[in-house]
Amino acid sequence: MQRILISILALSIVGGALAQQIRIMGYGGQDPAILVRLLDEVIGAELAAEGITLSYEPLEGDFNAALFNALSAGTAGDIFYIPVETAPGIIATGKVLPLDGLIDTSPFIDSLVEAYTVDGSVYGIAKDFNTLAVFYNIDLFLEAGVDVPDEHDTWETFADKLRGVDALDDDVYGACLPAGFDRFGAFAFAAGWDTFDEAGVSNLLDPAFVEAVTWYTDLVREGAAIQPSDIGQGWTGGCFATDDVGVAIEGAWMLGFLRNEAPNLQYGTTFMPIGPSGERGNFLYTVAYGINADSPHRDAALRVLEALTSPEAQQWVLEQGLAIPSRTELADNPFFLEGTPEATANAIVFEGAADGNVLGFQFGNIGTDWMTPINDALVAIMTGQASVDEALTEAQRDLTALTQRAR
Amino acid sequence: MGTKRADAVAAYLFLLPFLALLTIFFLYASARAVYFSFTDYDLFRPPNWVGLRNYVDLFNDALFLSALRNSILFAIIVTAVQTFLALVMAAVLNQRVRGIGFFRAAFYMPSITSSVVITLIFLWMFQRRGLINYLGETVQRSVPIVLAFAAIVVALQVAQVAWERRRRLPAAWTDPALLVVSLLVAGGATWLLVTTGVLSAREVPPVDFIWLQTRDTIPSGAPFWLAVPIPLAAIMIQNVFTTIPTFMLMYLAALQDVPKSLYEAAAIDGANATAQFFRITIPSVAPVTFLVLTLSMIGTLQMFDQVAIFGDAAPLRSVVTLAYFVYNRMFPGAQTPEVGFAAAGAMFLAVLTLVVVLLQRRLVRSEGY
Repeated sequence: MQRILISILALSIVGGALAQQIRIMGYGGQDPAILVRLLDEVIGAELAAEGITLSYEPLEGDFNAALFNALSAGTAGDIFYIPVETAPGIIATGKVLPLDGLIDTSPFIDSLVEAYTVDGSVYGIAKDFNTLAVFYNIDLFLEAGVDVPDEHDTWETFADKLRGVDALDDDVYGACLPAGFDRFGAFAFAAGWDTFDEAGVSNLLDPAFVEAVTWYTDLVREGAAIQPSDIGQGWTGGCFATDDVGVAIEGAWMLGFLRNEAPNLQYGTTFMPIGPSGERGNFLYTVAYGINADSPHRDAALRVLEALTSPEAQQWVLEQGLAIPSRTELADNPFFLEGTPEATANAIVFEGAADGNVLGFQFGNIGTDWMTPINDALVAIMTGQASVDEALTEAQRDLTALTQRAR
Repeated sequence: MGTKRADAVAAYLFLLPFLALLTIFFLYASARAVYFSFTDYDLFRPPNWVGLRNYVDLFNDALFLSALRNSILFAIIVTAVQTFLALVMAAVLNQRVRGIGFFRAAFYMPSITSSVVITLIFLWMFQRRGLINYLGETVQRSVPIVLAFAAIVVALQVAQVAWERRRRLPAAWTDPALLVVSLLVAGGATWLLVTTGVLSAREVPPVDFIWLQTRDTIPSGAPFWLAVPIPLAAIMIQNVFTTIPTFMLMYLAALQDVPKSLYEAAAIDGANATAQFFRITIPSVAPVTFLVLTLSMIGTLQMFDQVAIFGDAAPLRSVVTLAYFVYNRMFPGAQTPEVGFAAAGAMFLAVLTLVVVLLQRRLVRSEGY
């Protein structure tokens, strides 16, 4: 049915030369350049033949604020990004078109579809995804005479390896660990903790959570690891590129950064260490394409959405080292087996999505504000301003207040 | 009569473009905001009237109370410090000294530099291993050297003055010519002591003062309404640094108008420089002081950009101001915007600013200006 519709559309375009311009609103940064190349090299010609042209409008700065503004003013693009962490709020505006019956979601990874499902309707198709992996500096581990991290590492053996690298020099640190739930959360999951328990409550005083916080912050307090800001860096990747830290825990977005910022750094990648629950923990980060419910070009927008998430487009994105495809059929990808550091990293990030306790980077209708009390607590503990108990008790109080407000 | 009316029409015609803009973007927008502050509007669903609920909720919101406290402390402290320092700097720059043009340009630089850039630079300086902590460490390390230098200077000066007085020559304790000799000799002596290893910088642990990622306050443990969060103090320092030059320029203009004869008369009456500053300079520029205080109060009460750029570098509760609170509620992380609540916050800020400025007008007016 859909195909017929599209061919009718294509015919009418050929007949009437009715060009349709589809506006896409997404992140700034490198995304505009990527889309232009994707159009030029993969999907552009086909769409142009159907009379569809694309324009990409990057929303620089605070993406959420800009998108909410555009949605309410009726100026949002026909297609826009929906970050997973803010998806519930964006979908709640009622301005996102439910895709049920319009797009076949079965070729896409289930957990990614679930992240965009509200009350049984799907509102977005994940363009790609990312998880966390352990990036290590091969030269530093060699110099320190310590085995590089591997997939058999538990928290204990992993920490010992970090201490080994840290002992190398005063200016060298085992790892760079940020005081943020967006990375630390993976360790809480490895301890068996869940963002929301059965009652839908976040319990920060749960023994598993306390254990994870203690282990993570102790690494910084004892000096084996350091916060990025303490060596003048904004994020873990910046830390890693200085060549002074043994390990950074990031996703596949590191690859492009390292290619540009530290082309000579010899690095390897492995899985996250195994936590006290006997499992690894990980986050699933993703961004989806959603369609504006008020779009005047709904059919053309659906066609563009299909093209953007087509196997050809996703394979291209993967091979550029940008992100991991959201289609299950691309799982056994020959690209993953190429053996280069980048291909290995991609394979590990891909497999990370199905290995152990993996939770979406999502916090219900509270959104990213949910992380603030925990981040404050991590900072307070890492800098020695509060004990684990004090900091978590205060964080729990703040989080409860926040949850009650949001209801 | 006819020409008068024609003049008035012409005047209004000239005013029309500006009035139109003012009506659309200011009056209409403000009226809408006032209306929204009494509703539960969220940008997407039609607003429902909720009466004063948003205003009551404001005072039950911990973040709002922090924002209120931070804004008031920020406005009072920054305004006081920067007004005083701007006047002092203007008085200094009002001297006839060779190369004054260079100093005027140099002192004005912080004001014309982008606030975003300056904030980013300060973020670096305030880091745990940033410039400010490094300077603190350096000063502590060199305490013995500085003390030795000071001791030698004092000793030499005392010896020289005593010797001059024994020769029955008039010499003050701060005699400049003798002081230059003392300083030069002391500098040489200290250098000699350091290079020969008799004197060395002392070993101190690195200064690890946490400026940004902390919830501590100054004074530590003070009651809520009097406690200045340390990250807010960092923003205060930065704000004073960037705004002083603008006000300094206003004072400089005012100072040029103060008649020289007043100073000459005072000098004849035996007033020294300090007395002249407090008795002549300050009263003469009082109207400008009122302007500076007003602008500074409005600017500081509505401070937003520096908090926004500080972002995650400091805990929100420690740096949030009223203006940022409004933005934060308007675009909360991934929840639907709380436009009604944010508008109530904005109305409160507007009324607070108005009241503060009126109060201050009263106070400054009562001194006769």
